[in-house]
Amino acid sequence: MHRPGWAPEAIDIERPSVARMYDYFLGGSHNFAVDREAAHQVLAIMPEVPLRAQANRAFLRRAVRFLVDAGVRQFLDIGSGIPTVGNVHEIAQQVAPAARVVYVDTDPIAVAHSQELLAGDDQTSVIQEDLRAPDRIVANPVVRDLLDFREPVAVLLVAVLHFIPDSDQPHAAVASIRDALPPGSYLALSHANIEDIDAHDREAGERVYDRSDSTFVSRDTAEVARFFDGFTLVEPGLVWAPLWRPDPGSNTTGAEQSIMLSGMGRLGG
Amino acid sequence: MAEPPAARTDPASFAREWAAAVSGTSYLPMGNDELETFLAGLATRMAAQLDGDPPDQRLGQEIGADLVTAHVASPEAIGRTIEVVAARLLPEVVRADGHCRDRLAELLGAVTTGFARALRDRTLDEQEAIRRAALLARQHAEQALRESEARFRYQATHDPLTDLANRILFTDRLAALFARGTGSADSPRRLGVCFVDLDGFKIVNDTLGHQVGDLLLVEVAGRLRRHLPGQLVARLGGDEFVILIEDTTDTDHAVTVARTALAAISEPANVDGHQLAISGSIGIVERELGMTSPSEVMRAADVTLQWAKQAGKGRWAVFDPVRNERELAQHTLAAAIPGALDRGELFLEYQPIVSLADGSLRGLEALVRWRHPEHGVLTPDQFLGLAEETGQIVRLGGWVLAQACRQARHWQGKVPDPPFVSVNLAPRQTRDPALVDIVTRLLDETGLAPHLLQLEITEGAVASEDGEPIRALHQLADRGVRIAVDEFGTGTCTLPYLRNLPVRELKIAGVYVAGLPVPAPDRDPEPTVDERILATVVALAHTLGLTVTGTGVETAAQARQLRAIGCDTAQGWHFGHPTSSERLTGRLAGEPVPSP
Repeated sequence: MHRPGWAPEAIDIERPSVARMYDYFLGGSHNFAVDREAAHQVLAIMPEVPLRAQANRAFLRRAVRFLVDAGVRQFLDIGSGIPTVGNVHEIAQQVAPAARVVYVDTDPIAVAHSQELLAGDDQTSVIQEDLRAPDRIVANPVVRDLLDFREPVAVLLVAVLHFIPDSDQPHAAVASIRDALPPGSYLALSHANIEDIDAHDREAGERVYDRSDSTFVSRDTAEVARFFDGFTLVEPGLVWAPLWRPDPGSNTTGAEQSIMLSGMGRLGG
Repeated sequence: MAEPPAARTDPASFAREWAAAVSGTSYLPMGNDELETFLAGLATRMAAQLDGDPPDQRLGQEIGADLVTAHVASPEAIGRTIEVVAARLLPEVVRADGHCRDRLAELLGAVTTGFARALRDRTLDEQEAIRRAALLARQHAEQALRESEARFRYQATHDPLTDLANRILFTDRLAALFARGTGSADSPRRLGVCFVDLDGFKIVNDTLGHQVGDLLLVEVAGRLRRHLPGQLVARLGGDEFVILIEDTTDTDHAVTVARTALAAISEPANVDGHQLAISGSIGIVERELGMTSPSEVMRAADVTLQWAKQAGKGRWAVFDPVRNERELAQHTLAAAIPGALDRGELFLEYQPIVSLADGSLRGLEALVRWRHPEHGVLTPDQFLGLAEETGQIVRLGGWVLAQACRQARHWQGKVPDPPFVSVNLAPRQTRDPALVDIVTRLLDETGLAPHLLQLEITEGAVASEDGEPIRALHQLADRGVRIAVDEFGTGTCTLPYLRNLPVRELKIAGVYVAGLPVPAPDRDPEPTVDERILATVVALAHTLGLTVTGTGVETAAQARQLRAIGCDTAQGWHFGHPTSSERLTGRLAGEPVPSP
């Protein structure tokens, strides 16, 4: 993953990308044969993955709606992936046309695609950076240009932290970003927890991701809750994705099978 | 589109069922309420198709396309849509009759066609988009690679401290200059190279620290760059800079550049609060391209820089091929000395040192000769010049000392009143910590009486702060060895200083003897300044208890003058050329020497 600063990475489309696999799970066609092949391997082990991806995406939509209703107008979406159906800026700007969004992803193709999509939009931008380098994200001129860190910012870490192993210190990275935020800011995140999945299936699934551009790591509720250190969780706390402020009248049976722990924290003050 | 009468329809409850059927088939970027409202609208439009006349294929296809646009776009979604519409639309939204049933099949066909077509287009669009993104990402990566390569190349060819070109870039540019050709016969292309070195930079570093030293280098680099626009200024390392002047008109052109550089360097510099006055030395090489090569130019510039430094720093020097040839030849000879010693090509001759009072032979100065297979017999001035610098002198000097001692011992046994043998010590030998041991061992081995050995040292060799050589000389003098200062009057040694040395004799440099006035009838009887100086030196030497030898005495007149002044002994062609030991042995047995 790490490369010396002077050596730009090569673009390897022969390797599955978790961003494009996620796009496939959501029904998109922004993917290549290698991605679909890897996605089918995951589906063979866990056929309900598309539903979980949808539930995760639906959490993102409800979270952004919540944030806009709470008055937040600035969004930093880290691990934004392939811009697909229902992007953050579309959801936010539907309600608050002045909302500003910066997408961050480490996948160069996802970033290039986002750039194409966002060309000419001066309220929305994308940068290629890695959550493992939080200081670089916060100091990025595009981020600084678009987002005012004196005003509340919503940081979205949706389905990204489970691609960062403990050795890369994801908790420290999140804390580092938190320290750059003013009071009234929010952190929304979702994180896979597959403790309840059969160990054999779990390992098989992890092996598929080992061949992709990211490794997969499951964390339990306590570990995920620790990402909210310094934040106050808003109701209903850290829950399975479909249970986080569901739309009225929606069916939430079987929510515990969503494997996505989801929550939202507010920075006091 | 006409609204069908509300009484006959219930699109909301139908839409609820439809929404339940399609939800979960793919991600829908809307809440359930929004989905039901959207589907209710579609249901109403479909009902109108069944109701009204004539049925329109195009409108049915639009409904299918709208599903895709709203992201109800998965294969499962269309399947379930067909199921729900086929089963529920007629009873719940439209009056069920045969006429409608036929139309329903047509409608579903149109909706499915519209859906499949839109989904196909969307899939193709997305495939195209992701491929374009991959292409763009690859272009970005290649661009970044090129930029990083350019940055890497810049870093590899520039000095990180001063941002000047480094040795690699300079060497490349020099090579490129030569590669462009040497010009025509009537207008040959020329180049100039100025090799710059700061004088006393080490002192700045040592006293004010490397940070100040670095800042000074940055300051100097900036000045050179500013004052010499268009010239390649490179830092080769340390405090060494080099300027490449392409297509010089003549040597003056390069000298002008060097003057500019020296002036720029010499401006007082305020570095980190320190007012520094520095200077630089420059070696200039200015040649026709066709007459030289890159490596030759650089070597010549380096040599010339050393000349400028030796000449006193703060100045420039221009490369002199003749001087260079001479130094090269000396270098070659110096390097060949060890081999010559091994092959027995070196031998000694002895020059008499004669008493001016009675003409008796007092001593013999041992002088080394080289019977060179190509150049004939060489005298020390032809091959010793660089032997001191390269260190060859130590072995050679040791050999001379040993030879001379053996010869002196030989005479000691054969002659009633044997002369001392005087041996020149090079500065390196004088400073050699082993000197006392070497001499003592030689005296012990040969049995030579110590007072028959005289060691000639130069003024410079002992005129230093270092007391070690002086201690060694005292030890030797205590043993009874004579110590003489050679070439007195050409160095920095003062008479009071001599009081601290165990010196027995001063050898006045030949230039003073040569400077004595030629006797003539009309000559002013008053002594010249040179004569008076010489007389004073002799008187002072005598006061210190030293004897004085005049050297380079070529005429009887000079001998007379020296005797009149009070010199004790003298040597020179007038008293005898350097001669082989064999011939001297005969002479010592009774041959006369020229009278004083």
